[in-house]
Amino acid sequence: MSHAELLGALLPELVLVLAALAVLVVDLTALRELKPTQRFLGGALVSVLGCGVAVVLVGLGNGSVNLLDGVLILDPLTRVIKITILVMGVCTCLLTSGARLPANAGEYFCLLLLALTGLMLLVSSENVLVIFLSLELASVCLYLLAAFDTGNPRSVEAGMKYFLFGATSAAFMLFGFSLLYGLTGHIDLRQIAGALGPGTDPLMLVAVVMVLAGFGFKIAAVPFHLWAPDAYQAAPIPSSALIASGSKVASFYVLARLVFTGLGGTVAAPGTNWLALLAILAVSSMILGNLAALAQSSVRRLLAFSAVAHAGYLLIGVLTPGGEALPALAYYLILYGLTTIGAFGAVALVEGRAGHERLPAFAGLHQTAPMLAVCLLVFLLSLAGIPPLGGFFAKFYLFATALKAAPGNPILLGLVVVAVAASAVSLYYYLQVLKQVYVRPPGRTGEPPLSRMATGAVFVLALLVILLGAFPGALVHVLEAARAASAF
Amino acid sequence: MSVIDNLWWIPVLPLVAAGVTAVLPRSSRRWSAGLAIGSMVGALLGSLLAFGVAADFAQAHPGVVQVRNFSWFQVGETWVRLGWLLDPLTAVMLVMVSFVGLLIFIYSVGYMAHDANFTRFFCFLSLFAAAMLGLLIANSLLLLFICWELVGLTSYLLIGFWFQKPSAAAAAKKAFITTRVGDIAFLLGIVWLYSEAGTVLFYDRGAGCLETGVLADLLSSVNGFGISAATSIALLVFLGAVGKSGQFPLHVWLPDAMEGPTPVSALIHAATMVAAGVFLVARTYPLMAAVPTVPDHAPPAITTTAETHASIVSETHGEAARGAVSTALKVVTWTGVLTALMAAGIAVAQTDIKRILAYSTVSQLGFMMLGLGTGGVGVGMFHLITHAFFKALLFMGAGSVIHGCHEVQDIRYMGGLRRSMPVTFATYAVGMMALAGVPVFFSGFWSKDAIFHAAHGWGPSAMPFYLGLAAALLTAFYMTRQVCYVFFGEGRNPVPGDGHHAVQAPHESPGVMTVPLSILAACAVLLGVLGTPAWPWFQSFVGGTSLTLDWAELRSTESLRIMGWSALVVILGIGVGWRLYARISSDPKAPDALCRVRPDIYSLLENKFYVDEIYAATVVRGHAGWARLCAWAETWLWAGAVQAAAYATVGLSWCNRVFDEYLVNFSFDRLCGGLGNGGGWASRWQNGRVQFYLRFIGVGVVLLALMMIWGCRA
Repeated sequence: MSHAELLGALLPELVLVLAALAVLVVDLTALRELKPTQRFLGGALVSVLGCGVAVVLVGLGNGSVNLLDGVLILDPLTRVIKITILVMGVCTCLLTSGARLPANAGEYFCLLLLALTGLMLLVSSENVLVIFLSLELASVCLYLLAAFDTGNPRSVEAGMKYFLFGATSAAFMLFGFSLLYGLTGHIDLRQIAGALGPGTDPLMLVAVVMVLAGFGFKIAAVPFHLWAPDAYQAAPIPSSALIASGSKVASFYVLARLVFTGLGGTVAAPGTNWLALLAILAVSSMILGNLAALAQSSVRRLLAFSAVAHAGYLLIGVLTPGGEALPALAYYLILYGLTTIGAFGAVALVEGRAGHERLPAFAGLHQTAPMLAVCLLVFLLSLAGIPPLGGFFAKFYLFATALKAAPGNPILLGLVVVAVAASAVSLYYYLQVLKQVYVRPPGRTGEPPLSRMATGAVFVLALLVILLGAFPGALVHVLEAARAASAF
Repeated sequence: MSVIDNLWWIPVLPLVAAGVTAVLPRSSRRWSAGLAIGSMVGALLGSLLAFGVAADFAQAHPGVVQVRNFSWFQVGETWVRLGWLLDPLTAVMLVMVSFVGLLIFIYSVGYMAHDANFTRFFCFLSLFAAAMLGLLIANSLLLLFICWELVGLTSYLLIGFWFQKPSAAAAAKKAFITTRVGDIAFLLGIVWLYSEAGTVLFYDRGAGCLETGVLADLLSSVNGFGISAATSIALLVFLGAVGKSGQFPLHVWLPDAMEGPTPVSALIHAATMVAAGVFLVARTYPLMAAVPTVPDHAPPAITTTAETHASIVSETHGEAARGAVSTALKVVTWTGVLTALMAAGIAVAQTDIKRILAYSTVSQLGFMMLGLGTGGVGVGMFHLITHAFFKALLFMGAGSVIHGCHEVQDIRYMGGLRRSMPVTFATYAVGMMALAGVPVFFSGFWSKDAIFHAAHGWGPSAMPFYLGLAAALLTAFYMTRQVCYVFFGEGRNPVPGDGHHAVQAPHESPGVMTVPLSILAACAVLLGVLGTPAWPWFQSFVGGTSLTLDWAELRSTESLRIMGWSALVVILGIGVGWRLYARISSDPKAPDALCRVRPDIYSLLENKFYVDEIYAATVVRGHAGWARLCAWAETWLWAGAVQAAAYATVGLSWCNRVFDEYLVNFSFDRLCGGLGNGGGWASRWQNGRVQFYLRFIGVGVVLLALMMIWGCRA
């Protein structure tokens, strides 16, 4: 390994860090005297530029790289996930123009870019220490992003809750990792897997549960989901969008890596019922998330609970043995991330006009903003899994792969059945929003115009959701090829 | 283009005429008559052509039938096949029907000239002609049955042509329903035949139901009563013929059918349609005559005398059956002779000119059946043809008389018409003598002579011969009576019961009516030469045997004796009739001469042996009783059942509603409510207290860890 090799592998992350510094510098120098809107515009421009360069750099790389015994891993599937995270970062940047934020734009974009850096590093490591550190880097930035609207006590409260919850679960995770290290003497997932063997050591089980608790927090799976509604509701919307999309994508990817690479040996062990543990998380997430969403009047909380439910669906992909469902999982994650950012973007635009995001704010949207209404329709129906939108194919692909990979497995079959039933329930609350949009008369007229940039981003996202649903073949092909070339 | 391939044109021409006439406006009288007569001319020409071809073909290939079969439609795997045929029987009938039909069409132009529904009349007549010609060429029992029903329909329509007359409407219904009784049996026979043989085609290259292979199968299938399928089917088919040809006991409709216009009576109820039954028996003669030859299989009623070889004898043609006579033919013979005698008896005491002729028709149809039963196709069909001509002549003569007497039909109010209607009288006299069978010069004598000849030689019994002679005696008697009443003596009051009205004198009918009469009269005389014992051209043509001119046959003792018997009864009948009726009282209300001699017999005959009354007392009463029973059941049983079913339905719906409202909807609502409550319950944890949240993680981790450990231990 040479330093040049390391530098080459970390170039995208380095670009992001440089962009983060550049945003600060630009904001404090060139944009200092401008209006907040223009400062945010400038910051967003620099950030998008940085992300764009990073995307290009990630895209240019090829082949598999494994540096320092798993500290830095690069393979085609990881690259796809990294690009996904960056694209979501770009979308988040674009959403800032429509959101209510304090004036110091440079700090916001700096934190955002650093969070992206953390997520990028997170997905490209098999070393538990690096995983923990990059997770913390991302998490700390996200706490700050959630609490960024310092003038708004609820935003601060949301950040605080998020931070406390995150810190506790991070402690559990670190404890779990240290137990694993104590049990095996290794911090590399593959070596841990080799050393663990098919044991039923209670200590090992406790360690696994603790590690899972950490990831459960990140993916907002029941019972580690309680922070999500509060944080999603009160944080600035771009922050919520990033937490719900980019962070979730990275966490799920790492969870899948942990399960398939690190704990692969224990999964196969008789009696060690990993599947049951994850299945409990999945079932409780699907049921609880959907039920709780029924009772919400705040659309952001509704999206939060829907995120919980989707975490349950996604866990089916993690449960599918042998990583067969990885392309399906990745497809679902990409679709889910894009849809969620789009939905949050739409909510942000409505909120920017109505001042709140409870259901009545959406009344008569199809009259006051028909394009936005159509976009919202696309996002919500995609989340509910209605054909021909992307969400339908994502669900279908995931469930079908799971059933095909393990025919006759009662747990997976049961999970799929519960997932389908829960999807039916979910339609109710998504349609509640759409009912407001399309059936109810508009409350007020003469509302201020929408941010063009944010609207454009939402529109592009909606188009992407439709296209990925109507022509899923291209992305599926890329993902299948990437999985075949990757080390999973 | 061979004639057989285009034989279908013969019935289609009048059918087209009927179709076109049906859409013509009521006022286009010329068109409708022109079309009908034109189509009949076409049909006649076609028939003559077919006749020539058939005669040619019969000489080259005796006993072979020309057929053209085609597939009509498919049911499952089976094709329903129909077809037409040409053989001497068909050829003769085609010429007769189209020729007599043409004459009657022409006659109708005069007879119906004043009728408002002239166009409709010709439409129906054309339709009848089409159906009748179709019936003749049918090579399938099914196609024959279709045409059979169509002629039944047109008969109904034409009897009820003056439907405003209640008696005509009733007569139409009576005709339709009575023939329907026979048709049901006929249809059953067809169905039975199809189920047994799998075909209803007559001739189909050895696979038809009249060919030996199928007949052998039908004979060998014997049911529990020891009756073969062939006999059963033949009897059922014969029942259809009984209905259509007015044989006892289904003869009651035919006299009533005289309510229709006289050309209709002449065409349908004398010459052609009623002969369809006779034609049917002739057509299915192989089936009727089929007898098994192995004694084991023989039904007890069949005598199997000299037959020892194990094959099927189907007496298709020619002379009287030697040896075995099938049950069906015995039934045909006895039915025929009884009908002939009974109807002749009834005719003696009737006073309506057309009713007398109607009973005479019934009687003559009985003779035809007798001829078929005892002597085969040739004998029966010869009488059919001669009868068609002289009976059409008589009916049209009667029509002319009625026309001349201003719609009076009661012979007691006529008289002395020989002076005012000389042409009608002359032609009518020819017809009367042909019917009575006056020796040598009239066709009726020769055809009846052939029947007597056959009946005399009939194996099973000599009775039919003597009964037939008795019927011939009565025929001569009642015809003499009728002619005396109508044409001789002095003219009696032409308007019944009203002497004050100055009435126009009876007048001769126009040429359009008398010319056909004359032609028919000529035929009634000349046709006899075709079937004399010396030169039995007709029998040999229809029967397919060789023909020789043999004067010796005429002079043989046998022939002479039978001709002698025949001539004797005719002369006796005419003599007695003349004796009784030559001088009739000029009072129309005076009792009949016969009534004075034997009132009891006269009353029995006048009331037609009380057949109608017996039917009224049995069939009609029983039917009415049954209807009342049904009405009662309808009111009290079915209505109750329906009511109960309705209540049950209502109750069931009520249960359904309860189930729906309180179980389905309720449980769905409960489910939804439960889901909503679950949502509330799930979000109650979301109390915003971060301390609780953190405790929640701790508890969650501990529970999950415990669960894992417990799970691994187990």
